[in-house]
Amino acid sequence: MRRLNNFFTLLMCVFSIAACGQQPETSDADKSYNELVAELQNSSPAYTNAAYTPINDNSPLFTADDITTESFEYYSELDALQRCGVCIASVSTDIMPTEERGSIGSIKPSGWQSVKYDIVDGKYLYNRCHLIGYQLTGENANESNLITGTRYLNMDGMLPFENMLADYIKETNNHVMYRATPIFSGDNLVAGGVLLEGYSVEDNGEGISFCVYCHNVQPGIVIDYSDGTSKVAEENLSKKETTQTGNSEEKGSNEENKEKTDENPQTVPIVTENEQGSDGNTDTKYILNTNTKKIHLPSCSSVEDIKEGNKEETSLSKEALLLQGYTPCGRCKP
Amino acid sequence: MHIIVCLDDNNGMAFNNRRQSMDRVVREKILSLCKGDRLYMSGYSFAQFTEVAENIIVDENFLSAAGKDDFCFVETCTFSPDTAERLYVFKWNRVYPSDLKLSFDIEKSGFALLESTDFEGFSHEKITLEIYERESI
Repeated sequence: MRRLNNFFTLLMCVFSIAACGQQPETSDADKSYNELVAELQNSSPAYTNAAYTPINDNSPLFTADDITTESFEYYSELDALQRCGVCIASVSTDIMPTEERGSIGSIKPSGWQSVKYDIVDGKYLYNRCHLIGYQLTGENANESNLITGTRYLNMDGMLPFENMLADYIKETNNHVMYRATPIFSGDNLVAGGVLLEGYSVEDNGEGISFCVYCHNVQPGIVIDYSDGTSKVAEENLSKKETTQTGNSEEKGSNEENKEKTDENPQTVPIVTENEQGSDGNTDTKYILNTNTKKIHLPSCSSVEDIKEGNKEETSLSKEALLLQGYTPCGRCKP
Repeated sequence: MHIIVCLDDNNGMAFNNRRQSMDRVVREKILSLCKGDRLYMSGYSFAQFTEVAENIIVDENFLSAAGKDDFCFVETCTFSPDTAERLYVFKWNRVYPSDLKLSFDIEKSGFALLESTDFEGFSHEKITLEIYERESI
């Protein structure tokens, strides 16, 4: 891992290395990254049932000077409100992790609240959400890289992009410029979203090029971004969903499990029997084929074909099973 | 026509006019599936084929140009299920960003699953190849 600890070093590095790529196309040549961030801080795009919204015609705002084939990673220092700032990296196999992720439970990002809702997959509203995913730069408990992010932001907003980068880099051995900028409005302690930009260097963006705003929202939950407190949305109250503030006794074991689910779920087992017990849910939700690693509904016609030795009933959520490497059956589509 | 596509867990195909992912083992399997028969694709798709293959035909209107027994590798455009007699679906078993998805439900569009095989890719832990054939009416 090659980490730059101060911005001066970063600038020296970026400016001294010949940029091999051309500047990404932008929809507005006059718009700079700083202007875009300021715009988003003043007015972020409305959430319209999509976890991410393309910004600036999906064109990243790296300049030619930013782009480099020298691997590096940079994390801004926390501001006066203990909030994360921009993180940027030229990601390659040089700095991708080779070990399983460690614990990040010691970090309490700005606005952190431990709260659970039945309507949130995995129960916990918030994850310690890596700005640059663990699978890209292998950062564990780095407070400058972890924000208070909803489960939805983490899994539906940012993870797909991290997956795309990671697999592209493994396949091509190329570099990808990656910048994650948390967007805080005013003095809010929780970011409204994260601006993500990616650009593959050696092929001048042919493989990877995007600029999106990932919404830090959770469907069905209303968040007060000033301090991270939350409540069930009015329309969901009629569904008798319950809100539970995580108690300290429960938090210990579940925090650890949750922390492991925050990032890189393909390599890390997450939910333990202990967590199932604490949720008090022992009903069978799915039938697993432990050989093919498929998830089936109990009513699926394929279930009867599963050998008894490979069949397993589970009450775990689909999300938890996906994180353990299971995939949904194509027939019953659980 | 035999159509070959790659899909993520959300039936996504591409994002921002770029494929979601690629794997050299998938390319080898595509060439193997065609067994020397004509394989049509766009110039964009051809650019990822470093493998030498004389049966590849590059045509930006390849879905119109291809004949009944030809193969088409589709990455960044939609197609009607009616154009295919057989579908070869490579599933990444991952979630990627997408703004172009397969526009139809395969099994509800008259295709039956013939075969499903998992294999390890170069940069993907598990890729699934599903082969579907149009059901006779």
